[in-house]
Amino acid sequence: MMCIMKIKKFIWIFILLILWQITALSGKVSPLIFPSLGMILKAMVHAIIQGELLSQTLFSIAIIIEGLFIGAILAFVLAIVSRMSESLNSLVETLITLAHPLPGIALLPIIILWLGTGRASIVFIIVHSVLWPLLLNLITGFRATPKVYSDVGRNIGLNRLVLLKEIHIPASLPYLISGFKIAWARAWRALISAEMVFGAVGGKGGLGWYIFKQRVFMDTAGMFAALVVIMLIGILVEEVLFERVEVLTIRRWGMTEK
Amino acid sequence: MIELLNVTKSFSKGKEKFKVLEDISFSVNKGEILCLLGASGCGKSTLLRLMGGFDLPDSGSIAMNGSKVSKPTPDSILVFQEFNQLLPWKTVLQNVIYPLKVNHKYQSDQKRREHAEKYLEMVKLEGFYHSFPHQLSGGMKQKAALARALALQPSILLMDEPFGSLDALTRQSLQTVLLESWDKTGVSIIFVTHDIQEAMEIADNTLQRPRSIGSSEYMKLYEKLYTILCEK
Amino acid sequence: MKRTIKWIAVLLVLLLGINTGCSKQAPDLKQITIAEQYGLAYAPLQIMKELRLLEKSDANLLVNWRQMGNTAAIREAMLAEEVDVGFMAIPPFLIGWDKGMEWKIAGGLSSSPVGLVSNRSEVSTIKDFTESDRIALPQPGSVQHILLSMACEKEFGDSHKLDNLLITMAHPEGMNALMAETDVTAHFTAPPYLTGELKSKENRLILSGEEVMGGEFTFIVGVATKSFHDENAEGYKAFIKALEESISFMETNKIETVEILSNAYAISKEEVEEYLDTQGVEYAAKVQGLDKFADFMKRNDYISKTPASKAEIMWDDVYYED
Repeated sequence: MMCIMKIKKFIWIFILLILWQITALSGKVSPLIFPSLGMILKAMVHAIIQGELLSQTLFSIAIIIEGLFIGAILAFVLAIVSRMSESLNSLVETLITLAHPLPGIALLPIIILWLGTGRASIVFIIVHSVLWPLLLNLITGFRATPKVYSDVGRNIGLNRLVLLKEIHIPASLPYLISGFKIAWARAWRALISAEMVFGAVGGKGGLGWYIFKQRVFMDTAGMFAALVVIMLIGILVEEVLFERVEVLTIRRWGMTEK
Repeated sequence: MIELLNVTKSFSKGKEKFKVLEDISFSVNKGEILCLLGASGCGKSTLLRLMGGFDLPDSGSIAMNGSKVSKPTPDSILVFQEFNQLLPWKTVLQNVIYPLKVNHKYQSDQKRREHAEKYLEMVKLEGFYHSFPHQLSGGMKQKAALARALALQPSILLMDEPFGSLDALTRQSLQTVLLESWDKTGVSIIFVTHDIQEAMEIADNTLQRPRSIGSSEYMKLYEKLYTILCEK
Repeated sequence: MKRTIKWIAVLLVLLLGINTGCSKQAPDLKQITIAEQYGLAYAPLQIMKELRLLEKSDANLLVNWRQMGNTAAIREAMLAEEVDVGFMAIPPFLIGWDKGMEWKIAGGLSSSPVGLVSNRSEVSTIKDFTESDRIALPQPGSVQHILLSMACEKEFGDSHKLDNLLITMAHPEGMNALMAETDVTAHFTAPPYLTGELKSKENRLILSGEEVMGGEFTFIVGVATKSFHDENAEGYKAFIKALEESISFMETNKIETVEILSNAYAISKEEVEEYLDTQGVEYAAKVQGLDKFADFMKRNDYISKTPASKAEIMWDDVYYED
């Protein structure tokens, strides 16, 4: 079943590529608007050989991992704090209500004033865009933990901290994983848009900066090459990494029907 | 062994207050099985949770081996009706071993493993040690839960309609497994059920003399059960 | 599977539909869409707008104005044939021309002082920058970036010498960052940001555009697409006429000009006057400095070719001065 779904996806991608190529070759649109697949591939190979695209991809991924890591730690700390008492819980919920709807990019001018224009600012924006969905999912996951698990935990003599670590966290793994999926997607968006606004620092930039640079120099095929890289990474992470984690954990444990 | 004296418990729902348990007193001795029989919603599970220390009574006292019950302990293990009482991320064997580890039973993993396997064998779950709970049938899950409880060698098992969701045949075999295990371990059991026949099956071997407990309704029920048993 | 095939058919039809939609049928001859950016460098356009000079010069013309955030957006809109005439600096125009955009300069608009400001007392020329300095400017390929690269070529023999210190920021953000004394220690900008920054005692001008170019150059030019120029000759002529009228109006009616601009930009009359009197601010239809930009950009691979003749990059009648 999964396999058929995947084959279908590939067939659709293939069809879309053919339609793209037909449109590009029809001669009705300028290649500056709609470059052909060949041009995009050429731009991509060229950029990779130059070493630019690869190093900028790595730069982006490194920043995202850093932001995800900090965001995840903060989310865990806040989720634990919110379980300590009723008033702390309402504090955390208030924070979520205030901060969650705020797009990171809207904070940019303030962040530049506070933190300058370095790497720290981009990391800050990523942490902001990662923290709240992750925290929300963690809290929901903790709440959705069947009571019987914590009863069993208490019965065999676990204290609150161990209960959290041994029962609540594994029990909320489905929520945690979907939280990470959302966080990952948001982190990408935040990173690319932040980089497109305040560019590169010290000559080093990520994929957003790369796209921006191709834009100002009107290299449309190069822009699409970067978009393809972003899509490929997305597919790799969604369909391979997260898939693998799910197969090894919640699917193996029969925890997916939630 | 466990002794209840004038236990009262009520819950408030909105403004109304429901008295669920009123003035309940009884005791269970070592090695006895006591069935709590009653219609759904009459407070059996509440009573069991109080005895397990999961909730506290409004008044009256519950004592185990002479000391007051104030929180859950591994010395009295609750077995639930829900099939999902096993931790889904651990295999059957790990589910049994984990509580042993938490309670520092045995020094080596090897010993703990042997101990756990002994109890899984007792409930007839050989061959399923490395299955995850979701791969087991309902009856097997309840067997595993029973093995996990017994492996801790508690003084008392508190069983909250553990076979309530099983079909008749499976239930019968589980009842047999329970009684055999009881025979081997000599654990005291308090068994909650709403099924008179089940109470008879379990209590048949155990209730030398059913005792009436609690308020008049309970008394009536138990008197009825007593007559059925005696006729048998 | 049958259903899938049906869907593919639908998709195909949609895409072909888009295709035919893209190849616009003869554009409406009665329209002109003009794109500009924010700033006093675009002042004649505010006059043209306010006095309806374009409408007066061709009564049959429907005029649309678009204000856009950056040059790249204007260029993309012109590529998509949503904008007929766009205003920008010479380097972005040349990049577009080099990439095959069918457009040419219709006329100059303004000259303006541009300059690099630093807030560090140790920095008095670009030679004094260190690894820890950060220079904010609008974007790579912008006139500010090209001017800085030209200065680097002169000073160090390497136009990319300071590229590692650059940081891309729109003018207001750049000014904020410089004034707030963050990691940004220099800002390449134009008035009013330039004059604003220079009012503060810590800041000092270390490089000016004129100094780099060795003379005056046109800051903003008007660029018209080939399709507009060829298919709407009347509209094009009307636009050129209105542009010239706007510029001469500014020369002859100073008081009214100040009033119109003060309203259009929501700044005080004094500030407008101060700007108009700034040394180097000039509004003129002539185009200056094109060759210098083109030669430099070709030499440093920002573009792949230089125009062989003026006709390649300018529509007829553009007054050009080298």
